[in-house]
Amino acid sequence: MSVATRPPARVPVIGGWLGTLTSTDHKRMGLTVGVWSLFFFLLGGVFALLMRTQLAQSNMQFVSDNSYNELFTMHGSTMIYLFVTPMAIAMSLYLVPLQIGATRISAPRLCLAGMWTWICGGLVMQQGWFASGGAGRAGWSSYAPMSNGSNTPGVGMDLWVIGVILAAAGMLVMAGCVVATIARRRAPGMALLRMPVYTWTALVSTLMVVASFPMLVLVMILLYIDRHGGHIFVGFAGSIDYQDLFWFFGHPVVYIMFFPYLGAAAEAIAVGAHKRWFGYTAFVASMMMFAALSMAVWSHHMYVTGGVTNQYFAFTSTLLLVPAGIEYFDMVGTLIGGAIVLRTSMLFGLTFFIQFLIGGLSGVFVASPVLDYQAYGTYFVVAHFHYTLFAGSIFGFFAGAYHWFPKITGALLRESLGKLQLLLMVVGTNLTFFPMFFLGNDGMPRRVSRYPTHPGWGTLNELETIGAGIIALGVLVFLINVWTSLRRRVPAGDDPWLGHTLEWATTSPPPPLNFEAPLPPIRSYAPLLDLREEALDRARERAEVTTGG
Amino acid sequence: MRGGAIPIFAWGTILLVLAIGNWVWNGRAVGSGAASAAVLIVYGFGVAVWLARREAIRRGPPEPRSEPEAVPQASLAAVLIGLSAGCALFGLAWAKFLLYLGIVMFVVAVGRLIIELRATRATRRDMLSEGERQ
Repeated sequence: MSVATRPPARVPVIGGWLGTLTSTDHKRMGLTVGVWSLFFFLLGGVFALLMRTQLAQSNMQFVSDNSYNELFTMHGSTMIYLFVTPMAIAMSLYLVPLQIGATRISAPRLCLAGMWTWICGGLVMQQGWFASGGAGRAGWSSYAPMSNGSNTPGVGMDLWVIGVILAAAGMLVMAGCVVATIARRRAPGMALLRMPVYTWTALVSTLMVVASFPMLVLVMILLYIDRHGGHIFVGFAGSIDYQDLFWFFGHPVVYIMFFPYLGAAAEAIAVGAHKRWFGYTAFVASMMMFAALSMAVWSHHMYVTGGVTNQYFAFTSTLLLVPAGIEYFDMVGTLIGGAIVLRTSMLFGLTFFIQFLIGGLSGVFVASPVLDYQAYGTYFVVAHFHYTLFAGSIFGFFAGAYHWFPKITGALLRESLGKLQLLLMVVGTNLTFFPMFFLGNDGMPRRVSRYPTHPGWGTLNELETIGAGIIALGVLVFLINVWTSLRRRVPAGDDPWLGHTLEWATTSPPPPLNFEAPLPPIRSYAPLLDLREEALDRARERAEVTTGG
Repeated sequence: MRGGAIPIFAWGTILLVLAIGNWVWNGRAVGSGAASAAVLIVYGFGVAVWLARREAIRRGPPEPRSEPEAVPQASLAAVLIGLSAGCALFGLAWAKFLLYLGIVMFVVAVGRLIIELRATRATRRDMLSEGERQ
């Protein structure tokens, strides 16, 4: 790189494990957030398995009603505040500086402080399990007045609120650092419309974090005050106010949790098809439209309250189909005419789009107020948001994991184990969540620990429990794959997939300041593909000259 | 037009279009006062940015950097700031002494941060003077 860099010489160098924990290297921070997120994912998964065991048959007594309330609250909170969103930020922390040719992240100290604030938030939230009265139990959205001091007393709920404040503040800071890095540290030649697809998804996602997470911090502070005698969310108006404030964060976060994984799936598909991502500019525009609209649909979660303008939010919610359609069109366009290699990352990327489609299409139902009146509070909604939030993130995450693991570790993951994992995840996901559409349509309410004996409900719930076990098996296969691949390393080299973007132009794993060799010229969003195509053109010209001569 | 104002005007226009669309569809203006105020504030901010000649989004690709940088490799201060926030807020619900411990940690962290920032600045100054000598 042309810029001279040097570590500050007048503070003592911190080494060893403390050096790792205090490192301001964006790659170490990304990995630390990623590993903690994965830990919380496993924890949230255990909560889900316990819930599914309770629901395997009607009137089971595996856990108490109170424990079940804690489990579904902590499952949702752990997955949303401590896994899906932070994992997306972790990927951005690691990859964005590499993809834009930056040597480091902007405001690294601030980012490190944000990371530790988020980790503290996660630990404080889980601390609720050890509190008298148990952990938070008012749902991941903790509607007022249900979550106030009279209806949900106890330290556990306070710890939940404080945990969310800390986690949200930490993520907000980390996301701000990613935005600043993209704004200020792009390599010479890296214009905005030459940024890789993944970086665009990360930019839009982190911008939305910056726009919406302050609202979550605010509403949680208000809830804390309300719980301690503040009387803020009182009566019908107070309840509507809480929901308005909460969902102003709560709906954008759905897209915050989706975009980076969409970007990961898109990169895996484009590289796997050995083609440029089709319709790049339209894709970027669709991301912007998605982001703008997603900030204007929050009250579609509140149709049944009678406190919002249903037509307006139905209109904006239905408009979301337009950018979503563009993204699917681009994906199909990338595949057409490509030299497709069906590697695990590519397969996870394709599955991501297919599974999310089910979530998106069921979203058309619940975007309509009339149909939402029928579906509200039932398992139909649970099925819809698990297809969007679980399928719409986890498959993209694994596409990214298989795609970038060689870059991060220098070793290849086992393809056979990856394909076995994919099979288990697809079977498990659909077995768990698809029957929920039927249960919801039949009127089975969500957030109940026991349900009456009703024709078909027992069988469908049993299938869902088996499906959840299969998902867990799939995750176990992934962990075994990581363990095996790190223990018996198959060296990946710097660019095992013939990647398109700048992270593949450096060593695997990358050095502390990311790039030791000069960067290739950046003339498009796929600079390494440009180099290969230019080399191919030159070879063709030489061959023609030779033939002609 | 000054580039920085474009997204702000675009945002105001989206708000306006959605509000009018809703009015036409619904037959009555919803929150007309709030919507008008929001649009006016956004447009007002856009005009302010336009007059201030801010270029929020630079045109074209970034130029090569020439100034040297002192890159921090680790920061104990940043870790302490994060932990102090966690400790202090945890103390609100769990045990009061943690609140005070968090505050003390925060003060220590700020002290350490000042030392780190001064070291970074000094290193950068040294690099600049070395560059001038060469």
